[in-house]
Amino acid sequence: MKKERNIMFDQVCLYLGQDLDSEPCKIIQEHLQVCDNCEIFVDKIKKTVKLYKTTNDCEQIPTQVTKKLFSVLNLDDLCPEGEDCDQKKHQH
Amino acid sequence: MSYPKVDYQDSTIQVSQKNRNEIMNEIEIVKLAVQGDRAAFAEIVKKYQGRIYNLGLRMTGNEQDAEDILQETFLSALQNIANFAMKSAIYTWLYRIAVNFGLKKLQHRKKQYGHIDIDDPDTDKLSHEALHDWPDFNERKVNDKHFQEKLNEAMMELPEKYRTVFILRDLHEVSTVDTAKILNITESNTKVRLMRARNFLKDKLEDMLSHEEL
Repeated sequence: MKKERNIMFDQVCLYLGQDLDSEPCKIIQEHLQVCDNCEIFVDKIKKTVKLYKTTNDCEQIPTQVTKKLFSVLNLDDLCPEGEDCDQKKHQH
Repeated sequence: MSYPKVDYQDSTIQVSQKNRNEIMNEIEIVKLAVQGDRAAFAEIVKKYQGRIYNLGLRMTGNEQDAEDILQETFLSALQNIANFAMKSAIYTWLYRIAVNFGLKKLQHRKKQYGHIDIDDPDTDKLSHEALHDWPDFNERKVNDKHFQEKLNEAMMELPEKYRTVFILRDLHEVSTVDTAKILNITESNTKVRLMRARNFLKDKLEDMLSHEEL
């Protein structure tokens, strides 16, 4: 029984290394419906990932950091609208 | 934003018309940048600066390091863009450069974070999972600064090789194929690292939640 559980658990773990919303293996899905332990385990993993995603804004960057970057790259004149990166121009 | 999971040279992968237009538009911009067009290069910087900054921030946990990685990445890209062969997507190339700079930063600071081994989930522990389920996290909890700091601390405890996979796959939604290319590891290794990272963070969250109210 424990051996079977371990084999199934290995498969659940492989599933967990995939996209969580990908087309999952039918056997795993069927198993999750009848195994409370695995179902809760997978649910907790999903909630963990979702929590990290929710609290991380991949696109956010401080305005000053953008300004410096465009300046370092000598692209001041092409800085995003509203960033007012053309510091050199203003200084002269 | 999630990237279309497509290899530029693989026409067999189906993508939506909108994604196809986006890809075609980006290819044109990259072609111009490769030819030395400053405005085209600036477009690439605008599009990916946030993601590269975030990647550096999540890898190192330090704003100054993230800024350094951002500048080094785009300076290197600017110096080498003429040699970009367009065999992969531009973001894969940029991420690879950024990851390498991030790893260099971490090597310098290795003593600060030390190293811990993490293994596959413990099957004996699994039998206790059913004892307590988690409710959905409410908005107040998600926006709690202290809680967010704890989450970031937990992520920084992950060894770099697991953390980077987690950042790319789960936070930046990079495909398994591209993550493997960026990190120069196999796809199966990517999946194993991701599984271990997710499980490690779940356990950390479990510990955190056992000490406070949801």
